Amino acid sequence: MAPLSSYIDHTLLKATATKNDIIQLCKEAKEHQFHAVCINSCYAALAKEQLKNSGVKVCCVIGFPLGAMSTEAKIFETKQALFDGADEIDMVLNIGLLKSKDFAAVWKDIEAVKKCIPNNILKVILETCYLDEPEIIKASELAIQSGADFIKTSTGFGTRGATIHDVKLMKHVADGKAKIKASGGIKDYGTAMQYINLGVERLGTSSGIAIITGQPSTESY
Amino acid sequence: MDISKFIDYTLLKATTSERDVINLCNEAKLNGFYAVCINTAYVALAKQLLENTGIKIASVIGFPLGATSTAAKVYEAKKALEDGADEIEMVMNLGFLKSRNFVLVLKDIIDVKLGIKDTPLKVILEISELSKNEIIKACSICLDAKVDVIKTSSGFSKSGATLTATKIIKKTIKDQAQIMVSGGIEDFETALKYLEAGADRIGTSKNINPVSNSIQNRNAKVYKKYLEANQIQNSLEIQYYNR
Repeated sequence: MAPLSSYIDHTLLKATATKNDIIQLCKEAKEHQFHAVCINSCYAALAKEQLKNSGVKVCCVIGFPLGAMSTEAKIFETKQALFDGADEIDMVLNIGLLKSKDFAAVWKDIEAVKKCIPNNILKVILETCYLDEPEIIKASELAIQSGADFIKTSTGFGTRGATIHDVKLMKHVADGKAKIKASGGIKDYGTAMQYINLGVERLGTSSGIAIITGQPSTESY
Repeated sequence: MDISKFIDYTLLKATTSERDVINLCNEAKLNGFYAVCINTAYVALAKQLLENTGIKIASVIGFPLGATSTAAKVYEAKKALEDGADEIEMVMNLGFLKSRNFVLVLKDIIDVKLGIKDTPLKVILEISELSKNEIIKACSICLDAKVDVIKTSSGFSKSGATLTATKIIKKTIKDQAQIMVSGGIEDFETALKYLEAGADRIGTSKNINPVSNSIQNRNAKVYKKYLEANQIQNSLEIQYYNR
């Protein structure tokens, strides 16, 4: 297994995150060689600068956390994030359109974003806490069909985060065609390893340091 | 009294379906609400449903965290206008405010304001995350940016509007901008209290509008506002309150 730290997207998405919080986040990510920092798009340029020549990637969230912005706005936000220095994009699927059973619109929403970043990793957040089993299956299929590189469980702003059950279901649907990112509520080494053993290839968490050092964490994401 | 003209009927949940938006617009029509407030993905749909009704479409931008890049907020706002929005509600960049980088907070708002020209701009402060001093600072930045309405809350944070915060905002901005209260306003009585405290608009996802005579004349100032909002200009009442 690759080092545990390389599985982790070190995450800070709170509305109130300050410039100093982001600088601190980047410092920690460099120190522990996490895979990426995961941040809101207004801090992409700052993070890029902080992480120059460190090998740590910048991952930006798009249409976050509701997924309910217009497709065009998601495309523009993605392009701007890339321009500012993002390496990877985590977009939220349009959950409302999924609930409306307007699958073509859900699919086009994702495909349009993937089209503007053909060479970058796109992760699609399903927000599984709002979905029943058939919806998780459908959403996974739509995301993979639209070119998602990863399907991701949660934003951390919904009613709950990842569960073993959701991840197993997504893994089953993905069947090697896309990778899985589990996020939300992963706060300790044991939980992290449980997901990795299920085949998860990325973990989104604010508790990265606690996970790799085996300490308990007080973070909520 | 009828407070329908103060109400932005709101549905912003991630799971909102097309059917939910259709119901929202129908109820807004039935009740004659001032506006519906929705996410940008549904603006075009709401526009179709509300054509020629006079009910406005308010669309949220950078919602609910306010942490999208300024350029993305500007584009999202312009796109919402193109789809048919009549008002733009953006979330202030709270991270910049907390970093005490007030220039960036101001620029974020002004860029959106320039992008949407004369369209009414509301700025959401998210008061649950702010101290009293930060609320005052945020208000004065909004005034510098010439925003039309200052809105208390997104409804997605730990709590919504408070009377205390509404009074602080009112005291800070006086009549230089309007105040919109939102988050947790779920009944008529509460709505009235906010109107009395200086609120001009109410954002709620509850249909709170019993036309009740018993409370009709509860507060002269609010009632006068109501008459004006309903454009009952030459009524005896207005003459009475203006004398």
